[in-house]
Amino acid sequence: DMELRELKVCLLGDTGVGKSSIVWRFVEDSFDPNINPTIGASFMTKTVQYQNELHRFLIWDTAGQERFRALAPMYYRGSAAAIIVYDITKEESFQTLKNWVKELRQHGPPNIVVAIAGNKCDLSDAREVSEKDAKDYADSIHAIFVETSAKNAININEVFLEISQRIPVVDASGASAGKGFKLRRDPSDSRRNCC
Amino acid sequence: MDPLEHAEAPHRRTREKGAENLKPGCWPPWSRFSSWLECVCVVTFDLELGQAIELVYPQDVKLTEKERTSICYMSFPDSYSGCLGDTQFSFRLRQSVGQKGSRFGPEDTYNRDAPVTLQREVAHYYGFVYFRQVKDVSVKRGYFQKSLVLVSRLPYVNLFHSLLQLIAPEYFEKLEPCLEAVCNEIDQWPSPVPGMTLNLPVMGVVMQVRIPTTNDKLGGSPLRQSQKENLLPAPMVLPTIHELDLFRCFQSLLIHIQMLWELMLLGEPVVIMAPSPTVSSETVLALVSSISPLKYCCDFRPYFTIHDSEFKEYTTRTQAPPNVILGVTNPFFIKTFQYWPHVIRLGELKMSGDLPKQLKVKKLAKLKTLDTKSGVYTAYKTFLHKDKALIKRLLKGIQRKRPSEAQCAILRRHLLELTQSFIIPLERYLASLMPLQKSVTPWKTPPQIRPFSQEEFMGTLEHAGPQLTSVLKGDWMGLYRRFFRSPNFDGWYRLRHKEMTQKLELLHLEVICEADLQLWLKDKSEVEIVDLVLKLREKLTKACRQQLPVKDEVLEKLECRIQMVIGSLPEDLQTVLLRH
Repeated sequence: DMELRELKVCLLGDTGVGKSSIVWRFVEDSFDPNINPTIGASFMTKTVQYQNELHRFLIWDTAGQERFRALAPMYYRGSAAAIIVYDITKEESFQTLKNWVKELRQHGPPNIVVAIAGNKCDLSDAREVSEKDAKDYADSIHAIFVETSAKNAININEVFLEISQRIPVVDASGASAGKGFKLRRDPSDSRRNCC
Repeated sequence: MDPLEHAEAPHRRTREKGAENLKPGCWPPWSRFSSWLECVCVVTFDLELGQAIELVYPQDVKLTEKERTSICYMSFPDSYSGCLGDTQFSFRLRQSVGQKGSRFGPEDTYNRDAPVTLQREVAHYYGFVYFRQVKDVSVKRGYFQKSLVLVSRLPYVNLFHSLLQLIAPEYFEKLEPCLEAVCNEIDQWPSPVPGMTLNLPVMGVVMQVRIPTTNDKLGGSPLRQSQKENLLPAPMVLPTIHELDLFRCFQSLLIHIQMLWELMLLGEPVVIMAPSPTVSSETVLALVSSISPLKYCCDFRPYFTIHDSEFKEYTTRTQAPPNVILGVTNPFFIKTFQYWPHVIRLGELKMSGDLPKQLKVKKLAKLKTLDTKSGVYTAYKTFLHKDKALIKRLLKGIQRKRPSEAQCAILRRHLLELTQSFIIPLERYLASLMPLQKSVTPWKTPPQIRPFSQEEFMGTLEHAGPQLTSVLKGDWMGLYRRFFRSPNFDGWYRLRHKEMTQKLELLHLEVICEADLQLWLKDKSEVEIVDLVLKLREKLTKACRQQLPVKDEVLEKLECRIQMVIGSLPEDLQTVLLRH
């Protein structure tokens, strides 16, 4: 039997950097250039296999607009990972990202896995944030770092794969993290998943 | 259903049922929200205006002025209450005349599949209130007073109060954007479907609920949080969307359970006077649910105030008190209701030793002064003897510190068995009124259901009465006779009659399907054949409109047969019929 682990993940970052597009690329493998700004937050799930475990990502895609800023703690509370997104063509969005890192450090869950995604890497002509600067910053805070393109499906699955890798392993007794449970394949279980 | 069907290394895709991953914007805004709630409002106290709606979502919700006013008044404690802090309670209001009914028509599939007690209200709204009153020097009055109110046609009291517990404290801190976010999240919820277990994401938490269905085994165990200890972050599993803790609600009334059940069954006019809107509304809702699975068909108001639009109608002295149950808190009502036959005055819960003090039955004449003591003011004598063993068991349970859920389960089971013992003879008799299956023939309109005869029914009681399933002794016959005069009987009979008519219709369709059409067609004139085609078509449309549970194969077969009959006609008639 596989272990099923539910992992709460939230996406944070400035408005318009492509948080929802990243989620849509990951969950549905689709892209819509005219996506509406998120209100509050959207919730989606996707299950992937990682080694001998199933990781069910419970993804909270938060709104980037300033007026929703105060709501963020509800979404990163209890999260196993946070993906902080910036737009490589907007220096300002990288500064916002640093503020999110600070906030998570002060108020976020103690062992939260942080991933930094420099989105819109297909627009490298308009680049304002150098890959090296971003990578150095990410390394300095021990965060996952990737440049992504939700539009061209670059590195999207990789972000989540790296999160899977960094999630603490459940030891043999299952006692340590306590985050997994046996995936049973009885009817009641399949019913749980179909709604 | 192998989750690894589309495996690809190293992060393999698995199949995910798509329902919760619908892209926002794939459905009209507010459409999913409206399958749960009519609206969410914030009611505040304005020094000049009194109570006023400060905020409402959806902003274009269609509420009449009267409805708005009612919501405002009923969202605040009626009389001065010293209770500082947070209070939750429920109310129910009648939809204004002329207001467009529910957008969910009478043939709503939800209402078809949900237990009658959980159906969507057609002419009423529920209000679920989270009221906060705290000292605030920055406000002129010295107090911050605000209510967050969920307005819905669904009686999901437990779900909506749990939801309020999650969202209201956050709202009071983070204000409008918070409510906007919550509404948007609710607009992503899957619609309630009886029998389904649903994940309802809100504010970073996933609530898990199961919507009961009419096919559920009664008295079965509710949803359990089985993997609680292993699941982090766990979904928040609600064991029930609508059931209240009956034991807690009836703590001071345990010795009167039999009377309460009979009063509810008979739809007697009852007033609950409670020290707070919370106690008032919980007691009324618990009472109404005590005759489940039977539907309480009279009006009930968990929290009724002098500002209610039905205040005059319900308190007029020119007519006998109406068949309603009202929950009130304002002591003013003692005078208003002193002529009502049953008034239950609840006080703060008192203990005698380690047992909750039980209210005494008192003479109605004593109900006059504002400082009236708590008690059950009635001259009502129960038809059945009370179940002393049950009362003893419950009281012992308190002393032995049996968990409240277990006490509640005992009480709920007792009430369920009582209601079922009462209703089974009625169901059995009603079934005998159904025409025999063999009397349903293809070429005649189905035979009629025989009319309900009270005397004939009484005659069945000797051999097939409630004594088969209940040990309770007493005047069951008298109870049935009174029940026949109550709106609850009327509601039950109408519903069953409708179901039987539909069943008959269904049988007829099936019989037609199996009939030898060729043989029938042989000696028929064109007129008769055309008439048959039109009749069959009408039957099919009716079956679809009423959403009769016709098997697909029956429908297909019937469709096929209609085509065959049309084919047997001359060509000009064929074209005419096919065009229609």
